[in-house]
Amino acid sequence: MSDARRALARSLAAAVCAVAAALLARPVVAHGGSLGAQARSSLSTPTWLVLTTGGAAVGASFLLASVVTDRGFIRSVDGWRHALPAPGRVARALVRAAGVLGLAGTLAVCLLGPDSARPTVGPNLGLLFVWVVWWAGYTMSTYLVGSTWRALNPWRTLAAVLPTLDEPYPDRAGVWPATGALLALVWLEVVSPVAESPRVLGGVVVAYTLVTLTGAVVYGSETWFERADPVSRVFDHYGHVAPFGRDAGGVSLRLPGAGLSELPVSDRSEVGFVVALLWVTTFDGFVATPAWAAIADTLSGVGVPLSALYPVALLGGFGLFLGIYLGASSASKRLADTRLTAAHLGRRFAPSLLAIAAGYHLAHYLAYFLSLAPSVAAVATAPLAPPTRVPVLALPGWFETVGMAAILLGHLLAIWVAHTTAYELFPGRLQAIRSQYPFIAVMVFYTMTSLWILAQPEVVPP
Amino acid sequence: VSDSPARDLSGRPVEYDPGPAAHECAYCGRPFTSEELLALHRGHTHPEELSAAELAAFEEAYEAEAEAIRLFRLKAIGLLVALYFGFLIVYAVV
Repeated sequence: MSDARRALARSLAAAVCAVAAALLARPVVAHGGSLGAQARSSLSTPTWLVLTTGGAAVGASFLLASVVTDRGFIRSVDGWRHALPAPGRVARALVRAAGVLGLAGTLAVCLLGPDSARPTVGPNLGLLFVWVVWWAGYTMSTYLVGSTWRALNPWRTLAAVLPTLDEPYPDRAGVWPATGALLALVWLEVVSPVAESPRVLGGVVVAYTLVTLTGAVVYGSETWFERADPVSRVFDHYGHVAPFGRDAGGVSLRLPGAGLSELPVSDRSEVGFVVALLWVTTFDGFVATPAWAAIADTLSGVGVPLSALYPVALLGGFGLFLGIYLGASSASKRLADTRLTAAHLGRRFAPSLLAIAAGYHLAHYLAYFLSLAPSVAAVATAPLAPPTRVPVLALPGWFETVGMAAILLGHLLAIWVAHTTAYELFPGRLQAIRSQYPFIAVMVFYTMTSLWILAQPEVVPP
Repeated sequence: VSDSPARDLSGRPVEYDPGPAAHECAYCGRPFTSEELLALHRGHTHPEELSAAELAAFEEAYEAEAEAIRLFRLKAIGLLVALYFGFLIVYAVV
């Protein structure tokens, strides 16, 4: 999940050269730290000013939103819906079939197709498909349009034909298994060649398939995909940001982000999952900064093994993000003067963070997706004998501002969602405004962190 | 939303601080920290059921809050203007 962050901050010429060079040198389109290293443009504005401006933009948007105190208006904006016909059974069956075929095809090409980890072999379509089409492109569709993963998910379709033991799911575990698996997948992505070697990727997909189907058989498909499967939870959460969403009557159109106030976050483990989703996008960029390289060099110099450093940083950063968020919930309770518990406030405000996570994802992946889409098309015509030179779309220099804009837009959406939530929770208007202060401070911190990472030169993670 | 005890989106009861509350809504049992907030809650959540006295209390609390809101808006606008010109000057210097 790293890649495109760098695509963002790099100039036109550098992007073309770097991508072309990376493709020629390592035929696989890589994920990880191999694309566009050190190819970032230097900004003419000093970093501290970019960070302060970003933080101030978030703060100023909060001040503007706080002027809106009309409950009726806030409720009508959030509650606006336009009902649409639900997709028919034939359409859903076709989508399911496409999902299973896509999984089978990806596995076959990854395991049997050209091994693009070796030189002089063209890109492997399976690898391109997973990273460019699915993780970049499809994920964007889940928060920009609507999540179709429930129907498309090939593992859910396969689990439906398997028997189930319907063991009771341990409620105490909450959704921590999904959070753990999400962090583990990101760790794997950063430290293993899963982004360069189609064989390794194929192995990971096989392992994921075994774990997922076993879980679905033991605990029942619905429980497993709702509670323990990280991929389904990510897409379901992103789907709540999108303008199209499922509801009781079928499908409805709503304003972007309005679905977030319908997302139930019922315990601390679910808050943890939301924060983890936000943290993993940040972590991915963080390990490619010179700051991380310096820390890693220093620590490995005194004998700390690198292999231990990554999981510690991943878990430590997650703990820090979660701690900051829970601290904000407690502060919100004190400022709002309410009998509601801090834990309850934390659960209610958590969905607003998903708009920020979606903004990060768009900033990281849009340029990556657009520039590599022609490569996918070229390789798709000959998956087993791909051309060694593939076309890459050259994006104009101004495109890097789209990434910055995506991060800011995500935050603006989050501010509005938090504002709506506060007015649902509190009878007092001033009380609702005060309750948001700590969460806005946290959002300013998140914005400045991600802008800082964007402004860093790109290095290959040690 | 007039059920007691109130439930959140996931259908679980809303969590309140333990212990008796000095200001509790007679219609739904939700606890509040002050009489003003309780009056506002009654006006927003149970507008059909209010007695004349409760309605008057709501209007009074709402008006009292409007004054504080006006002051907050003034501060917010002042802060926005300061931010705007502050950044204008910083960008001119840097």
